Amino acid sequence: MGALAEITPGKKVEGYLARRGQVLKACIVLTAKLFFADPQWIVPSIIAPFIFTLVAFFLFGGQASTGSFLLYLVLGSGLMGMWGTTIYGSSNSIGFDRWNGTMESTLAAPVPLSWIALGRVLFNTFEGVINALFILVIGLAWFQVGFGVVNPGLFFLASLSTFLSLSAFGLLMCTIILLSRKGGFITNSMEIPVYIATGTMFPVSILPIVALPFAFLLAPTWGIEAIRLSALPGYAGLATNYWSDLAILALETLAYLGLAFFLFKRVEAYAKRNGTLDEY
Amino acid sequence: MNSAPPGSQFAIEVRNLTREYATRSFFGTVNKVTKALDGIDFSVNKGELFGLIGPNGAGKTTTVKILTTLLTQTGGEAYILGLDVRKDLYEIRRRIGIVFGGERGLYNRVSALDNLRYFSDLYGVDPTVSKMRIPQLLKVVGLADRAEERVEKYSRGMKQRLHIAKALVHDPELLVLDEPTIGLDPGGARDIRNMIREMQKEGKTILLTTHYMFEAEELCQRVAVISKGKIVALDTPSELKRLVRDISVVELRTYGATSDYVEALKRLPNVVRVVADLDSEVQTIRIQSPLGADLLPQVTSALPSDAKIIDRTIKEPTLEDAYLRLVEE
Repeated sequence: MGALAEITPGKKVEGYLARRGQVLKACIVLTAKLFFADPQWIVPSIIAPFIFTLVAFFLFGGQASTGSFLLYLVLGSGLMGMWGTTIYGSSNSIGFDRWNGTMESTLAAPVPLSWIALGRVLFNTFEGVINALFILVIGLAWFQVGFGVVNPGLFFLASLSTFLSLSAFGLLMCTIILLSRKGGFITNSMEIPVYIATGTMFPVSILPIVALPFAFLLAPTWGIEAIRLSALPGYAGLATNYWSDLAILALETLAYLGLAFFLFKRVEAYAKRNGTLDEY
Repeated sequence: MNSAPPGSQFAIEVRNLTREYATRSFFGTVNKVTKALDGIDFSVNKGELFGLIGPNGAGKTTTVKILTTLLTQTGGEAYILGLDVRKDLYEIRRRIGIVFGGERGLYNRVSALDNLRYFSDLYGVDPTVSKMRIPQLLKVVGLADRAEERVEKYSRGMKQRLHIAKALVHDPELLVLDEPTIGLDPGGARDIRNMIREMQKEGKTILLTTHYMFEAEELCQRVAVISKGKIVALDTPSELKRLVRDISVVELRTYGATSDYVEALKRLPNVVRVVADLDSEVQTIRIQSPLGADLLPQVTSALPSDAKIIDRTIKEPTLEDAYLRLVEE
């Protein structure tokens, strides 16, 4: 060994925002490296989107006579892909450490677990963006869907906001996994109801009235509306307007974040008391 | 009057520390309460290498988890560098490094460099500093030439050296080493022990838990023996060995000895304890007895005809002999 004394002293980063930024960057980079290190990434990011798109086109094939309807399908399929990846990714954000044996090392770091999970969820949601982009490419190239977005600037803003809202929702899901290793069952079972409730493939307006409050509480519902309003000519949807959709989306996203950070604190303390944090 | 906050004169101070685990029924009622720690007390001086030894389930890991802020105690107090483990967890985590034994704690699909960069960032090390510090640490632990390889390709010993580098990445004042040599071959374990010595020479306080008594005897200035959630002895290894000064140890290396022979030895008069390793081709049997060399004729006569004693030595009792007496009492 030797030469320990000659090692550069470990000077620390100062400032709350700089520290949190450093943690987010570290978690995003590590999650990305782990994701691409496993060749199975092709399944959720390339094969699954292709199947999603195929199913959607065959489902609506006969009616898909207009370009904007085809784009409606492609956008819906993309969001389904994004949500699917987010829901599995959020389970994986903390669950991975449990089975990999790195839970103790992660928990021992001098930073709230919520920030570590947020970094990981951000990348996992970004995987969903890759997924959605593949669906778009498949739609454009294979099914000859025209990509005539009405307002590209607003489309980008709505997509970015939806991405952030999905990340916040994923973080909220993470607290369930933190509470129990069996939490994956609950989060995974939310995949299909959220597809339906957020209107990825069918308009929310056709849902029974009892389901609407649930749909409206899901931020992605408003994100999808805003995306379609900015992309599809003459789209009416929920008869709201783009900016009100975005405002509701922002409010709900902030509520998810606040609730997730609060729950992380409570759940982490609960798991520390009960000695269940590192069980896997 | 001493106005120093609790625990500030020690690197670690533990007072009446208790941890109970409750097993609950489906309806939430408590079925059973298990006491993993039953009011333990000890303190570790700054710069000291302190050992915590005990059998499986004695409470070592529970103690380590509480001290590293991963588990909350149900009673008592614990201070690390003068900080309360219940209240100051992030400050404590910033100032301590942890080495977990075995395969736990590393991301195997990425490189050693990636692992260290990640943990360096989590611990808030300035990136300009970590650019210099990480390669230096990898050099110190002998992994510089394989830094970019995936950790899954590493041997157990290499992984353990990476664990040491990981624990040092943020330059902690105190290190908690939980079974750092478990499962390593003799060469790998020796490398880790040399690193531990080196870290102590550099002024780090070290809390070491281990199953290997010779390791605790070789490295630690003081040792606490924990059994069934209580500290049953705390002293220097040489003082602990005085507990068994009334006995000598007859160490046999045999060929063909079986568990029947070990049982026969246990039944001999004046034999206090027999510890045997029968798994190898050549077996090692340690017999504690006040008779010392005078026991040899009885030991030889009990040997079955198809077995052979290769070598016999009369030894001074070791920390292991003292430990066995303490935990079996």
